[in-house]
Amino acid sequence: MSEDYFLEPDGDHEFLEGNRGLSQDQRAELGLGALVFVVVALLVAMLVFVLHEAWPSFAHNGLGWFAGGGSLDQQIEAIFNSGELKTAPVYTFHAWPLIWSTILITVGAVVIAFVTSLFVAVFIVEFAPGWLRRILEPVVRLLASVPSVIYGLAGVLVIVPLIGNHLITQSEKAAVTPTIQLSGASLLAAVLILTVMIAPIMIAVFADGLQAVPRGWLEGSLALGINEWRTFWKVAVRTARPVLIAGTVLATARALGEAIMVSMVSGGVPFTPNPVDGLIFFFEPSQPLAATIIRNSAEGLSSPPMKHTLYAIAAVLLFSSAMLSVIGWAAKQPMRRYGVTP
Amino acid sequence: MIPLLALPATAGAQTLFGSGSSAEQPIMNVLFKAYNKLHKNIRFNYLPDGGNAGVTDVQAGRRLFSINTRPPLPSDAGTTYFKLWLDGLCIAVNPSNTVSNLTIAQTKNIFTGVATNWGQGFGSNLTTTIDPFGRNSTAGLYTFFQQAVLGGATQSSNVQQEGSDGLVATAVSKDPNGIGYVGIAHAGKGSGVKTVDVNGVPCNQANIKSENYPLFRYAWGVLPTSNPSKAVEKFFDWIRTSKQAGQIINRGGAVAAFNKK
Repeated sequence: MSEDYFLEPDGDHEFLEGNRGLSQDQRAELGLGALVFVVVALLVAMLVFVLHEAWPSFAHNGLGWFAGGGSLDQQIEAIFNSGELKTAPVYTFHAWPLIWSTILITVGAVVIAFVTSLFVAVFIVEFAPGWLRRILEPVVRLLASVPSVIYGLAGVLVIVPLIGNHLITQSEKAAVTPTIQLSGASLLAAVLILTVMIAPIMIAVFADGLQAVPRGWLEGSLALGINEWRTFWKVAVRTARPVLIAGTVLATARALGEAIMVSMVSGGVPFTPNPVDGLIFFFEPSQPLAATIIRNSAEGLSSPPMKHTLYAIAAVLLFSSAMLSVIGWAAKQPMRRYGVTP
Repeated sequence: MIPLLALPATAGAQTLFGSGSSAEQPIMNVLFKAYNKLHKNIRFNYLPDGGNAGVTDVQAGRRLFSINTRPPLPSDAGTTYFKLWLDGLCIAVNPSNTVSNLTIAQTKNIFTGVATNWGQGFGSNLTTTIDPFGRNSTAGLYTFFQQAVLGGATQSSNVQQEGSDGLVATAVSKDPNGIGYVGIAHAGKGSGVKTVDVNGVPCNQANIKSENYPLFRYAWGVLPTSNPSKAVEKFFDWIRTSKQAGQIINRGGAVAAFNKK
């Protein structure tokens, strides 16, 4: 090869002779750059498209979109039928029951999963014997990749009937009918199953983070006579905080967007569960945002006002995910100095 | 020129574009395949954009035919409807429930939250709270149920909404106090539920075909009134009259109508 293989292309004739003028690195750079550009362009196009499709619903309702009021079932029916029967489009939509359900189910599952995952990860990294660790790690990774519809089926066939037929009493059912039905498809079922779904992600990320803590730091603490448990808690877990945040953000994003499983076990009614109701609160049905899209996209998309409403829900979910990333990033900033990075 | 085009055998390969009901798409797809085996030169392209959107497509000339699950309305001017086959909506309860018959009015009371206990004169062995299950507001089966049973009212908030007929049947089969409405395809053997008579008539294929069972509806084929495609007319005739198409329809969970006008 001549040495001009390494030279920069200096004119059109280089290109006419083929790619001989571009080095392999340059070609890779251009190719990957173009790929990144396409990915970013697609993301921007998607955002613009979703917001554009969602606009009629937001424009009509204003901030009332996020508030409560009236029967959401009747609102969805009116929106859907106005498009199907080609009458004047109806957009009135008050999404608070869906938003509240999303908050309850996501926060409930993330809090429970965070605590349990942290303990499990600490156990796997520091206290489990080697043979057990070699079994636990692949099991956790497998659990993290189980499709959500499998969890949904387990919920519908096992968890929901279990709650409905054994935990809820006849007097509790009779007390709330006909406002709602306590069938077992409930906040409790959704939170429990969602916890099982997102915990493996958290455990996997947490364990990686804890393993990345420099051994010297831990040994230094042990050498000062501090016991293993305290050392791990005060040094390892503290150092791994940025990773804990990253794992939590990842798991929260999954919980927020989970649609199939939640739509199968949460009850499918746009009801606003009320903590004041006492124990029954946990048995109350609800329907989060993502499940509402899944439920109504089969036939709903053929009705233009319903389509715009579903896109508005999608836009809120997109915005929430974006905010989640920003909050996660901001929370990690003060910990940068001593933390291990994910 | 025109008579030549009308002869499919000499016209070469032809694609028939249709649209409409998404609920009937599974059966349509099997019918398309079977018809294509008989007539190699005819292919189909079906867009499941909803029954009403399908009619608009035919009116605008964008599609040669559409499939709809509601009878013609005044807004469907310029189109002709053909009865292709029937579908029935069954009322299903848990097999442990001894209720055997419900009137339309009783069913309406249950699904609008007026009647909430099995002890309220339904002839059931239970005296527990009724657990009604149904479909979500944008499901085609719900629209049908709303018109045929609820008289246009919205189902009560204690009706737990499921994403598919199969999930309604599963929920009812797991809940001794459950009741739900499902298409006849989801109420047969192996579904784990028991169907009840409606106004004294059992929900089965024979009663739906004879129109004795009150909760039936037709799947309609829609063509433009002026200048309809001859090839589509032949296809509709095949659906309505051939034994093979009837078997496909019955196997798909619907009820063959056999040449009903």
